[in-house]
Amino acid sequence: MNRKIFLITIGLLISLAMILGGCTPETVTIVETVEVEKLVEVEKEVQVHVEKSVLIYNSMHGDPEPRAADEEIVKNFMEANPDIEVIHSIVAHEDFKTAIRAYLTASTPPDVLTWFAGNRARFFIDNDQIMDISDVWESEGWNDSYPKGFQALSTVDGKQYFLPTSWYWWAVYYRVSIFDELGLEVPETWDEFLAVNETLKDNGYIPIAIGTKYRWTAAAWFDYLNMRINGPEFHINLMLGTESYDDPRVAKVFEYWRVLLDNGYFLEDAAAYAWAEALEPLIAGEAAMYLMGDFIRDSVPDEIEADLDFFRFPIIDSSILIGEDAPTDGYFLAANAPNPEAAKQFLAYLGSVEVQTYNAEQLGRLPTNSGVDRTLFNESQQKGMELIDGADFVAQFYDRDTTPEMADEGMNAFMAFWDDPDSIDELLVELEAVRQEIFVEE
Amino acid sequence: MTRTRRDIIPFLFLIIPLIIYIVWVIAPMIYTFYLSLTNWNGLTTPEFIGFKNYQKLFNDKVFYISLKNNFKWLGAFITVPVILGLGLAMILNGTIPGEKLYKMTFYLPMVLAMVVSGLIWGWLYHPKGGLINTVIVATGLVEKGPGWLSNRDIVLWSIIIVAIWRQVGYVMVLYLAGLKSINPHLIEAATVDGASGWQTFWRIILPLLTPVTIIVLVISVIDSLRAFDLVSVMTRGGPANASSVLANFMYIESFNNYKMGYGAAIAVILFIISLGFIIIYLWRVMKDELEY
Repeated sequence: MNRKIFLITIGLLISLAMILGGCTPETVTIVETVEVEKLVEVEKEVQVHVEKSVLIYNSMHGDPEPRAADEEIVKNFMEANPDIEVIHSIVAHEDFKTAIRAYLTASTPPDVLTWFAGNRARFFIDNDQIMDISDVWESEGWNDSYPKGFQALSTVDGKQYFLPTSWYWWAVYYRVSIFDELGLEVPETWDEFLAVNETLKDNGYIPIAIGTKYRWTAAAWFDYLNMRINGPEFHINLMLGTESYDDPRVAKVFEYWRVLLDNGYFLEDAAAYAWAEALEPLIAGEAAMYLMGDFIRDSVPDEIEADLDFFRFPIIDSSILIGEDAPTDGYFLAANAPNPEAAKQFLAYLGSVEVQTYNAEQLGRLPTNSGVDRTLFNESQQKGMELIDGADFVAQFYDRDTTPEMADEGMNAFMAFWDDPDSIDELLVELEAVRQEIFVEE
Repeated sequence: MTRTRRDIIPFLFLIIPLIIYIVWVIAPMIYTFYLSLTNWNGLTTPEFIGFKNYQKLFNDKVFYISLKNNFKWLGAFITVPVILGLGLAMILNGTIPGEKLYKMTFYLPMVLAMVVSGLIWGWLYHPKGGLINTVIVATGLVEKGPGWLSNRDIVLWSIIIVAIWRQVGYVMVLYLAGLKSINPHLIEAATVDGASGWQTFWRIILPLLTPVTIIVLVISVIDSLRAFDLVSVMTRGGPANASSVLANFMYIESFNNYKMGYGAAIAVILFIISLGFIIIYLWRVMKDELEY
């Protein structure tokens, strides 16, 4: 008797589990809504009398300075639009990347989200997760005030889906004092670059600082070498999966790379350092150069920043077009945004000259809106803008131009190559297998 | 009538925890099995693809590296901390001055969050300025210490050492509790009969500690299979997957590469391996219960 009841109970519970199991993806939504409601309640106490439309804005500006600026922008927007209540949640960069698919597939997704231009946005556009905002582009006159390159970056099949708002350049940063001490000139060609490395090494300096714990710093070397050796067109096709990794042109990239490794020009034990940890020898004046994005300035003390300058990644073959990495960040609206009207209003504000000027002043971000007064920028920013102006092609970055899984495999291969350069042929065969699986299946 | 009611009542009390358990543990587990048969990428609706994920998994080099690393971890975990922990427990069980202080010191690493241990050891392992390499270089024997976390041959062991450092104190505490429960008369009797210290240990103490040893082994096995935090914090499985373990591999595939279906397949394999050990454990425990 008691066994029977036990079995029936268990049976019932298991079938219940099955039913509930079918709803599991919804749990994400539940968590999301609860959080939102809590926030609304808190705000309600202050302003009970005004009927407001609610706008949800999720951003990944988690670092202290960008966070403060982001909050200020939201505050200003709400002051200007008292009928809109912005619920702003800021999530750290890496966590945001992990969570974004859950945000978008929730039954009430956020209205406005921060994101990366390029392939990472393209994926969501192709999956109908991003709202067509051509009307905002039209009404705000962005088709005139945004440079062609940024327009192209935001457009798919003649419609705009993305709002690029800021960008930064990549270059080889170096310690001016070390170069001066050894009488070194800024290298423009590969041979000059190798000579600079040799001189630095002979004089007891670490020529190139790099921390590859999170791998992407190595991907920058691949990007640049590939663009300099094989041209930006080949590079971007490789990223899009239409060229193959076992192409002899790819192997050539690693031959050049290998010279630097074999000669010991890179910081030793690079894999033990995160990118910012590898700044230590640069700051201490032991290492001379670092291939990095302009955010490197945020992470060095002021007196070192004054001693830090940059040059264009050396030209290897002067007959081919110049490609540069200049990752662009921006915003999009979720396709199922619950409040598209307020969202578009907010987006228009984010893309305005006013906000971009504010960001440029507060954070030194380079704006995309050409209406922003260029005299605001200091010498090095002007130089960075010239660097990109002088490029024939602008790429986003290895892990933004190709799919996340291809980037993951690729960066692992770079690390394996770094450790054992002889294994490169084998690694490229494996990468090609991965590419076929990813791009041919899709 | 009263009999039936008495039979039902315990289940009524159990219903709430059971429901919670089913909703939060059993159902997601079943759902994970289902996901492992799909190509879900976190965005589209899951599409049933049969056993393709498993097929791919069994041809994935990283899977075998991770599996092997998990077993290396397991091998180290069921030997070193157990022996060291037992040794410490034996030493500290006697009355030596300051034993409380020693016990506390050895247990202290366990109190730290894994992530914190990982970060601190990351500094100790720092190739240039880290304590370990600074000491090695100061001895003058070598010019340059090894790259503990950047050398593919030693990186896994560098991480396992941290895990062991953490585990020893825990095992020690378990054994100390076990030793306290041993009837001192048995040991006295052995001494009276002329048994040497070693004989007493091997013939009397160790067999009496068997239940504790089983618990320690099971904990060690489970801890080594779910190893994730230290790897994630210290190397994220790198360089080039050299320190990858299954849990980390699963995390990267699911949340970095957004291959949820594939990640689920890894989770299922990990579950099956754990299940194997748990069944062995249950079988042992049940057998023992029947004997007594």
